[in-house]
Amino acid sequence: MTTVLRRPTLGAPIRKAPAPAMRRHRWYVPLVFVGPVLVVQVIFLFTPLANTFVLAFTNVSTIGGGRFVGLANFTALAQDAAFWAAFGRTFVYMACTVPVIVALATGLALLVNTKLRGSSAVRTLLFSPMVMPLATVAVMFQFVFRSDGLANQLLIGLNVIAQPLPFLTSSTLALVSLMIVTIWKGCALSTLITLAALQNVSEELHEAAVLDGARWLRRTWSVTLPQIRGTTVLVAVLVAIGVLRVFTEPFVITGGGPGGATETIVLYLFTKGISPGTQAGYASAISLVLFAFVLVAAAITWALTRRGRA
Amino acid sequence: MIGLDTAARPKVTTGEAVLRWALMLLALSVVLGPLLWELGTALKGPDESTAGFPGNLVPSEPTLDNFVAAFTQIPLGGYLLNSTVIAAMGVTTNLVLATLTGYALARIPFRGRAVYMAALLATAALPFEVILVSTLLVTRGLGLQDTLLGVVLPQAVAITSIFVMRQAFRAIPDELEEAATVDGAGPFRVFLRIMLPNVKGSLAVITVLGFLDSWDHFIWPLVVLSSPENYPVNVGIQYLSGTFSADQRVISAAAIVVILPPLLVYTVMQRHVFSGLAGGALKG
Repeated sequence: MTTVLRRPTLGAPIRKAPAPAMRRHRWYVPLVFVGPVLVVQVIFLFTPLANTFVLAFTNVSTIGGGRFVGLANFTALAQDAAFWAAFGRTFVYMACTVPVIVALATGLALLVNTKLRGSSAVRTLLFSPMVMPLATVAVMFQFVFRSDGLANQLLIGLNVIAQPLPFLTSSTLALVSLMIVTIWKGCALSTLITLAALQNVSEELHEAAVLDGARWLRRTWSVTLPQIRGTTVLVAVLVAIGVLRVFTEPFVITGGGPGGATETIVLYLFTKGISPGTQAGYASAISLVLFAFVLVAAAITWALTRRGRA
Repeated sequence: MIGLDTAARPKVTTGEAVLRWALMLLALSVVLGPLLWELGTALKGPDESTAGFPGNLVPSEPTLDNFVAAFTQIPLGGYLLNSTVIAAMGVTTNLVLATLTGYALARIPFRGRAVYMAALLATAALPFEVILVSTLLVTRGLGLQDTLLGVVLPQAVAITSIFVMRQAFRAIPDELEEAATVDGAGPFRVFLRIMLPNVKGSLAVITVLGFLDSWDHFIWPLVVLSSPENYPVNVGIQYLSGTFSADQRVISAAAIVVILPPLLVYTVMQRHVFSGLAGGALKG
């Protein structure tokens, strides 16, 4: 995208045509259009957001009461081993799922970017998980990973293993099982976005590479993929933000278990600040830490996309 | 607008076709495998084992009993009704609020518009989980806890929908509005008669996205609802699957029923889903 900046030269003022669409309306006209959304957003978006910053410095419980306690929540949080464990686990989760989803999405997008007869049906089916409700998908995978579920049936049937694997009851495997669910669901949308970018790739460069005698792998790696790098980064950051928020998979499939081995940041937040009588102030402090990390991820996206477009 | 027509490619060699199909079938089996197994389980009678690969994957005597049981033994019908009411309200609020706001942001100047736009851009990246606890306190304060309205209102409008509508209204040429104004049409008439008919495609996109979002929402209804009779499908199925009495075949049948409506919308409105989801991500 190129922007041409034109500086008005002195003495020769550029006559700016008045934009007709921007003419003034009577005072109530804008109010009719933005009034309703402002009411909803002030009550359910701006107030809760501001209130999170206030609550984080109080010891309010979810049923009310409480007073200002300064930084007490944050100092307690800094020493909260369970929080740091959930925090580290969420980042391990992110470090494992993001590269896999990005690589699979890129590969799948290249694979289905073809005019082969029947390939549009393949695309339709391949992208279908993105519209399926995650909680229901998670219930399905809870059955898949049971000791007599599909995963074990397949592995035993193919003679890969003799005894069923404890997919959900071993602390390491349980986290891996949840990651598989995230990858299964997350690949669909990531592939769709990558495919949309692939279809904007310039054909001429590709043809020039063909004339130069470059083979498919070389053409793809050196010509096609660099042109969609911006989108690849965007997909990575979108998935990363999504994984920072991961809740549904552990809540539905393992409930955070076994023994807290799959507890993530949001699941911890949920156990600390939702039930009546729990600590809304402390949970708000956790929320702010989560928010800080999402902002960092958003800032990275912003910086990277800006560089990509410059 | 993103069309998913593939790039013009003159010829595909047989070798490439075979390789592509082999890999596509592999990818499809990973995506469809768990779903088909789930369907197989849902169609099995009580005497048939859900385990036993490979001989027992396909039900020997398929039966719809589990689907009947999903409506009689577990309250799937009630869950579906709640989800439908929530989706109907949520789609309507999203459609109305996003259209009005998008129009004002695109074509009606007002004091503080730049500030409001900046606030929207800033909160677009805000995950709902960050304000989950505060929103629950607000909703309780308003006496809306454990009501379907309380489920809908905090997520009444998606900021991405507002941006989709703003883009659509900005693309309409000014001449159209001028001509109508010269003819004596007021601002509301211009909006209803001239503007709305020109953004039908975008209205369809945010309707479809609104429905898919609403059907997928999980953490908020889980938090704000306490009576099982108010649960939407997602929360209800998860709630039942955790109980000891849960019959895997019946839960599987219920899960299939829950996945069908969004799948149907996706199949019929595929172009809108693609352009909404891929376009939103690329522009956002």
